[in-house]
Amino acid sequence: MFEVGRVAVKIAGRDSGRKCVVVDVIDDVFVLIDGDVRRKKINAKHLDPTGEVLDIKKGATHEEVEAEFKKLGLPVWNKKAKKVLSKPTKQRKVKEKEEEKPKKAAKTEKKEEPKVEVPKAEPKVEEKVPLEEKKEDVKKS
Amino acid sequence: MPEGKRKSRSQRRVYVRTPSSKSVLHYRARKPSKAVCGTCGAVLKGVPRETPAKLSKIPKSGRRPERPFGGKLCSACSRKIIVAIARSE
Repeated sequence: MFEVGRVAVKIAGRDSGRKCVVVDVIDDVFVLIDGDVRRKKINAKHLDPTGEVLDIKKGATHEEVEAEFKKLGLPVWNKKAKKVLSKPTKQRKVKEKEEEKPKKAAKTEKKEEPKVEVPKAEPKVEEKVPLEEKKEDVKKS
Repeated sequence: MPEGKRKSRSQRRVYVRTPSSKSVLHYRARKPSKAVCGTCGAVLKGVPRETPAKLSKIPKSGRRPERPFGGKLCSACSRKIIVAIARSE
């Protein structure tokens, strides 16, 4: 009934209403589908054929189907990435805290350096004072 | 004599056998009616018959079938509508 490359609409199950393409015909009952659905073997009764036929090989990979679907402007089903378990991340946080402590010590050392510059500025003021005194001396004279 | 709210039969009566072999009368909330298909009126499968308080404790995927019109239409009626939508495009 279905040939490889036939675009169809799935009419049963949680992917029903989505478009797919027949990738492989297993026997007169079952076909392998891919596209905007989970790639799996299904009963051909769960498909409603459309007029379109894609140029794909028998047993085409998901990437090949994705490229053909993009030409038609159709979306493609992709697996969601699994979330990383919370326990290993907690262990990493403990390691980061240990690394941060030496960094804080390094920052405090840097802060001490500008303090040294401040006393340097003070003697400059002292130098100005004698100049003014000299000027006053000149006026007095 | 039971309280006024318990005489109205809005709660169902359950006879419970206690550990001391007495049979006592308990009052429990009635369950809602079974979910039916919106077009043909058939009883829906995969939709639990529970009070809203208990339904909130069930995961969403356990409350209705995971397909378009799941929990509203039966599988045969939803298939007819999905085919009609696909062929009208």
